[in-house]
Amino acid sequence: MLFFGVVIWMIVWSIIGSIMIKRRYLARDLDTSNANFMGAMAGAALGPVGIAALWSRTPTKSGYLTVGLGLLTVLIVAVTFSFADPENICVTSGGFVASQFVNGLIIGIIYGFMALGLSLIFSILGVVSFAHGEFYMIGGMSVYYITAVWFPGVSPLIGVMGACAIAFVLGAVFERLMLTPMYHGKIDRPVEYGILVTFGLAFTLQYFVQATAGANPVKVQRYLSFPRWQFPEDGDPVWIKTSRGSLTLFDQVSISSPRLTAALTCIFVLLALLYLLHRTWTGKALRAVSQDREGAAIAGINPDRMNMLAFALGGMIAALAGALLVQAFSWLPQVGAIPAMRSFVIVVLGGLGSLPGAFLGGIMVGMVEAAGTGCVPDAQKAASYIPAYGMIVLTLTLLLRPTGMFGRRFASSTHGQH
Amino acid sequence: MKKQIPNLAGGMFLILLLVFPLVYSKGDYDYIMHIMITGFFYAILAASWSMLSGYAGQFSFGHMGFMAIGAYTTGLFCHYFYISPEPTGLCTEMGFFGQYLIVVNPIGVTSTTLTQDCLRQAMDVWGDTVKVTPMPVFLGILLGTIMGGFAGFLVGMLVLRLRAAYLALFTLGFSEILKATISAEINITRGQAGLELPPLYPDGITLLGHYYGPTAKLPPYYTMLGLLLICLLILTWLARSKFGLFVRALREDQDAAAALGVNTVRYKVLVFTVTCAMAAAAGAVQGHYVQIITPNMLFLLQMSLVVAMAVIGGIENFVAAAIGAIILQVVLELLRNSFVIGGVEVDMTIWRLVIFGLLLMITLRFFRNGLIAPIIAFFGREGVAEETVAKRSAGSQEAGS
Repeated sequence: MLFFGVVIWMIVWSIIGSIMIKRRYLARDLDTSNANFMGAMAGAALGPVGIAALWSRTPTKSGYLTVGLGLLTVLIVAVTFSFADPENICVTSGGFVASQFVNGLIIGIIYGFMALGLSLIFSILGVVSFAHGEFYMIGGMSVYYITAVWFPGVSPLIGVMGACAIAFVLGAVFERLMLTPMYHGKIDRPVEYGILVTFGLAFTLQYFVQATAGANPVKVQRYLSFPRWQFPEDGDPVWIKTSRGSLTLFDQVSISSPRLTAALTCIFVLLALLYLLHRTWTGKALRAVSQDREGAAIAGINPDRMNMLAFALGGMIAALAGALLVQAFSWLPQVGAIPAMRSFVIVVLGGLGSLPGAFLGGIMVGMVEAAGTGCVPDAQKAASYIPAYGMIVLTLTLLLRPTGMFGRRFASSTHGQH
Repeated sequence: MKKQIPNLAGGMFLILLLVFPLVYSKGDYDYIMHIMITGFFYAILAASWSMLSGYAGQFSFGHMGFMAIGAYTTGLFCHYFYISPEPTGLCTEMGFFGQYLIVVNPIGVTSTTLTQDCLRQAMDVWGDTVKVTPMPVFLGILLGTIMGGFAGFLVGMLVLRLRAAYLALFTLGFSEILKATISAEINITRGQAGLELPPLYPDGITLLGHYYGPTAKLPPYYTMLGLLLICLLILTWLARSKFGLFVRALREDQDAAAALGVNTVRYKVLVFTVTCAMAAAAGAVQGHYVQIITPNMLFLLQMSLVVAMAVIGGIENFVAAAIGAIILQVVLELLRNSFVIGGVEVDMTIWRLVIFGLLLMITLRFFRNGLIAPIIAFFGREGVAEETVAKRSAGSQEAGS
């Protein structure tokens, strides 16, 4: 009861704060772009006191202030939770918290990686790809078909690379066939066209796979089994201990092999991607197109080719995430829906089109999901509500701060204006 | 004369739909009628969605959410409210014009030992002496429509600043939150088990001296067709009035429209309210017709069906969208028959959806105005070119003389 009382108190004051602070900044002729969000955070963290302070001082907005208030809000929620439910395993067991934290971090890295593909597509084409979840599904399915059906016994590495190649080609072909007319003003509303046509692709792919592969769940063996090993030999607690399927740190935190390999591969590919984007001509051209299409074209970059590359790369990233997670989850043609929704949440939270925002947003969403599944009592209801948590974050972000954490405003008309 | 062809064809199509249930009498009557009723249901959704997204440019992925609001409002209303001449002493109840308005307690689906809510317990004690009246279905549908319109109003107010991709994501989020809430609040909505609704005409209905029972297909057929016609009339009236002009201005350029004196806030909220109320009304009637509603009707697949129907019919012409929805619904059902080709059995129940998706993409890519709207436009614009030429030459002669 205490917990919900506090939460309702916070919600009420954040609504009041977001409205009042916006009005105040408008009345004083100050920059109102983030006033909504800051007002809401102040209201949630400090209640009337915070709003009154902002109201009277109207400080120049800084990222530090907003982030500080946001962290304070999270802290207050956590402290109230521990007071309201002292018996909860998240309050009593430090080991459980550490385990949830590490696993949330690891799954968050994979989520962030997948969302990165969506963000890359948006930043260059200005399209929110509704087929992202289907690329994820295609990735997992390709690995299954390559390693278990077409060439049994082949190394999983080849399976993963084959999945990436399939998704890359699929993305490139689809972009050439379907998305080209939207670049040259042939279509009145290119953003809507992009959404609809990727939606059509998602629909087609999902049922195509269901028609050819059937609706039975498939599973792939884990790619890597650890050798049996521990360090130190007779320590108490044992720092690192590995068994075939998992790795245990300090006898408390257990990480399964599929997730660990997936996360490490994601980090590796992410580094390669950063190298591509910042150190090679192609990558610089990609970023140039996302900043200014016409300017890039004048400098001798073919923006249409960059569009194709971006869509194919984005699809490939989603497929890679799927190819890495197919060893951890069983795979169905419908498996893409939830990761697609999660990617939407992450890119909006991080800021549509922002690559670091997508990655950080992914880690945050992974952590929140771990906390949500581990700590909330009444597990059945919590499980039903999990898809809703992310969507609540998404709608709130869109309402309060449509640019997300790291978003920028896109000047070109191809991107949806706010 | 050619100009009248779409009107004539439309009139004939309508007459065909009107007399169809009276003249058709094969063994699969109920099945065909069910397909047609579902087709009308999708036609209402596609028409109102094309008004919202094609005509007004407010690209919404939450249309099924508003439909579900309508269905669940009437479902919960008919499930939890009763009128009884005697107080039960167990339920929450209050006086109501000399009788008692009874609010049944939610028992959920898990309490199998306690399948009886408070009203059923009271009725067991009464035996047959007291007659409890359920709420009128029509009132539930009306409430559902109002609730849908209200939700549309709220969402319209919230999304004033959002455009294009942001709006699509927001409405998608709204729909998903609604789905999760309905699935999770099992005590009240019965979750995935589904909420049962009374039939559209609980006591049957007598039409032209013929009695139709509660499960007969003919009364819901005409109800749904009537609702579709009402919605299309309202939409046509709106599109031809000042409202239609203003929302089109909103679609083309919101800032320019505002600068020219269009009250963009009012028209944006209004178009959301009207179209969402229509979706909710369709959902409520459909809920009473199929008599069970589950959160699965909020799946993205359902939304994609509506979107695809509207796009294939013609996204900026709601009549074409409605016709497209009816035709596609029928075609999708006809394609259900699996066949064997070269020794391989083709499971058409899934392949038809693949074809449907391909058709959607091809329509978008090559027939941007859909497949049906251009036909209407082709005949509708017959003679316009000659008229323009004649007007021009007349004008130049006047200028010359």
